[in-house]
Amino acid sequence: MTETTVTPERALVVEEGDVKPGFIGQSVPRKEDKRLVQGEGVFFDDVKRHEMGYVHFVRSPYAHARIKSVDVSKAHELDGVYGTLTGDEVAILTDPFFELSTAPGANIKDYALAVGRVRHVGDPVAAVVARTRELARDAAELVEVEYEPLQHVLDGEESLKDEVVLHEEAGSNTVWSGVFDWGDFDAALADADHVVRIERLHFDRFSSTPLECSGCLVEYNRGTAQWTIHGNHQMPGVGAIWMAPALRVGIDKLRFVSQDIGGGFGNKITLHPQYTACCLLARKLNRPVQWTEWRTDQHTANTHGNERTFLDVTVPVKADGTMLGFSVRAIDDCGAFPRYEPLGCIIWAQVTPGCYRWRNIRVDFTQVCTNKSPVAPNRGYSRMQHLWLTERIVDIVAGELGLDPIEVRKKNYVKHEEFPYETPNGCIYDSGDYARCLDIALDLIGYDSLEEKRRDAESRGKLLGIGIGSTLDSGTNNFGQSMILNPELQFSGNNEVATVKLDIFGEVVVTLGTVPQGQGHETTASQVVADILGCTPDQVNVRAGHDTYWNSTAGFSGTYASQFAVTGLGAVKGATEKLAGEMKQLAAAVFGCSPDDIELVESQARIKGNPEAALPFMALGAILNANNAGLPPELDVTLNVRHVYRPPFEKPDLERKYGNLTLTYATQIHACALEIDPETGVYEIVDYAAVDDCGNRIHPQIVEGQVHGATAQALGAATHEIFTYDEEGNLLTPNFYDYHVPHALDMPPLKTGFIESESPFTPLGAKGMGEGGGAGIHAVCAALQNALGRRGEGPIVWRSCNPYEGVWDLVQKPEQTRKLVSVESR
Amino acid sequence: MKVSGERQFEAPRATVWEVLNDPAQMAKTMPGVESFDIQDDRHWRAHVKIPLGLGGLRMSIDFEKMEEREPEFAKLHAKGNGVGAVLNMDTSFNLVEAEGGTNMKWEAEVHLLGPVASMGQRVLQPIVNQQVSQVLGALDKQVQEAKTG
Repeated sequence: MTETTVTPERALVVEEGDVKPGFIGQSVPRKEDKRLVQGEGVFFDDVKRHEMGYVHFVRSPYAHARIKSVDVSKAHELDGVYGTLTGDEVAILTDPFFELSTAPGANIKDYALAVGRVRHVGDPVAAVVARTRELARDAAELVEVEYEPLQHVLDGEESLKDEVVLHEEAGSNTVWSGVFDWGDFDAALADADHVVRIERLHFDRFSSTPLECSGCLVEYNRGTAQWTIHGNHQMPGVGAIWMAPALRVGIDKLRFVSQDIGGGFGNKITLHPQYTACCLLARKLNRPVQWTEWRTDQHTANTHGNERTFLDVTVPVKADGTMLGFSVRAIDDCGAFPRYEPLGCIIWAQVTPGCYRWRNIRVDFTQVCTNKSPVAPNRGYSRMQHLWLTERIVDIVAGELGLDPIEVRKKNYVKHEEFPYETPNGCIYDSGDYARCLDIALDLIGYDSLEEKRRDAESRGKLLGIGIGSTLDSGTNNFGQSMILNPELQFSGNNEVATVKLDIFGEVVVTLGTVPQGQGHETTASQVVADILGCTPDQVNVRAGHDTYWNSTAGFSGTYASQFAVTGLGAVKGATEKLAGEMKQLAAAVFGCSPDDIELVESQARIKGNPEAALPFMALGAILNANNAGLPPELDVTLNVRHVYRPPFEKPDLERKYGNLTLTYATQIHACALEIDPETGVYEIVDYAAVDDCGNRIHPQIVEGQVHGATAQALGAATHEIFTYDEEGNLLTPNFYDYHVPHALDMPPLKTGFIESESPFTPLGAKGMGEGGGAGIHAVCAALQNALGRRGEGPIVWRSCNPYEGVWDLVQKPEQTRKLVSVESR
Repeated sequence: MKVSGERQFEAPRATVWEVLNDPAQMAKTMPGVESFDIQDDRHWRAHVKIPLGLGGLRMSIDFEKMEEREPEFAKLHAKGNGVGAVLNMDTSFNLVEAEGGTNMKWEAEVHLLGPVASMGQRVLQPIVNQQVSQVLGALDKQVQEAKTG
């Protein structure tokens, strides 16, 4: 399936085999792959230093307890133990990390180690450094911690009651709360022919689990009082903003270095507590220290995705199936600390009406702390939960009113001709064709023969269901949305940096501010550079990884929020265009002509129409860098340029909570066909299609890889991946034995399609697209609902994760969930 | 986790009471006890190795007698610490004279915390059942020995 739509300058449909000019749009070999498949990648854990020590964190077995004492003396007695760090030391040596929220969340005191109290199982209480990793773990067992257990709270709604308060200094478990009210919901309600009410929906707690756990190697230079952190933080600029004030140093004292990172997905954004502890240890012990997180610790105490309960969902609907909006009360559970929160309280608003033309929306949003692991952005951060809600709304409304969910979607989707489309809260959907994507998805799974397939399944004792998930992958944040939560925050817009230079031997060298975690940045950056400079990607050396001392770092540098194709490549494009201009100026000075007469082709700067008058890149590099006598003094070129790409954002209207919160909107429409065995609840996905529209695709194979990855993420979250706690606050899924991530053999046959709706707002017409997994979660929920329910009958799929035993419950006790939904028809 | 049950002993209530309230005798009923220290008549400590699927879990368990009404009721609190596990347990028993001996009703509320609890949750119940069964069997033996002197 290859086709492209929307761009007026191009043919509406590009058939397979058509070739776009240049390297952009081609699946050139990935620069990263050779070293990765040969085992020659360099991850933080590969970095070793003489005499380094290994860090192990002593963690709380209690969900909530007062720390009465911490005794590290026995650990110190063990041969090979280099030292320890306790919460008391941390409280003296550092300040609490700054909080993004207004009060009460603003009053929370969050340190690198627990100070005075533990608030979730796995909360780090002390750290031990020893000669080996295993010895550090053994020594950690000798640290004696006396706890006074406290009552704990594990449920978001219970937490709201403040009967157990996690943070005394805040006085409440509420981190942030606010009402978002756009359009006129009351008028819409009055105007409705039907009102569908859903008492409760729940988005379960899960997380993406990168192949590489978190960690770092930290060196401290006593002479310069500067730390070098070889790590896998995926947003070090923001990490430094948290860490430097806490450590009471300037931000330039923290140098973050990474080459290869084994996946991020957002949960490597909030590593500042662990990294700060390691910085303190490296300084205290005067030796490099390395921390490599154990998988169990990663599950138990790193970060999870936001868990969210939706209550009292009210949906006004016209007789023809037009939906006028919705209202909802959302309770978001951020775990023990709001480490990146309360940003999740606003990020969802980037996709307020989902893919739909709903104009009247009221959301009463509250975020609370509970005695569970803190949350962090998780691929699809906050939008995933909200889009799952919008999709459940569509399917439940369609089911209750006896409407075709396909037709309801098409009736309510934003129309192709309405782009750019402004949502009720001022976001601008840049481009797309949702109905077309849906048609492709349906075609891929053979929707026309649905009834025949259903009968066939029934003949085998199975129930067939088909479900759609249609979501948006909003990319390139406007950080100004944080001011809607807290007007005192001084964040807005976004930025990213790249440098490009032409070296003495004619080598084109690129550095990126982004922190790639496997997304192929070296490859796609080289494609962009090659097209502008008239060379090949092979001739472009994109430095692997990230180093804050490269001078290619801006305040928001990193890889997150589906934005590299816009911000990262926007910076690369801008820098390369500057370099191209300088190369033309230099060549013009040598040839004695105007820069306008120079073209860059075939790795040369030459006079247009005169291929003989050409300077190879090597000559340009050598002339400026090593043979520059005689060049005109007014020639102001360095062949080493830096560009900061800044997306076109305004600050939002804080009163109305209104504005363009993000720049691009990629689309994912997924269709799922599954069969349930009603005797056991076991179900199998028998057909699956994912259709993606991310604007102009820079490297189709990389896009395809992201689609596959996001689909696997979604199917895991929909079927098995769930962080379950027992009543004591113990995590029951702390490793891959209990927490089942889809393996290759678990994946269904996956069919993919795409269209390309060029974004009018971005440098390359591309949109970020790394977080489109939400569609799959809903597609599975909808397919289960389709298989189990009939109009006004059968169970309601009300949770995002539906393992087999949950489906068996739905089959056995349909009345328990049926009562969650009611319809008022006028 | 709450566990409870009932047990008949062919011995007078005073004998059963004596066994249940003698830490040294009780130590003999507990599986995996490696050492036992009596601090006073209300406090004692046991070092045990609890069998788990992947090897024994060593714990140091402090017992404290919280309440007693001789010869019918006693309540104990136990707090254990081990590698990757914390145990908190409140247990009590009621002794009633019955035909031919003594009837004991007992209950325990067990809280297991830490990584062992996280990973072992699914096998915990059968292990607890097995431990309880062994304790009660051994207790029966101790009571018979006490009865026969």
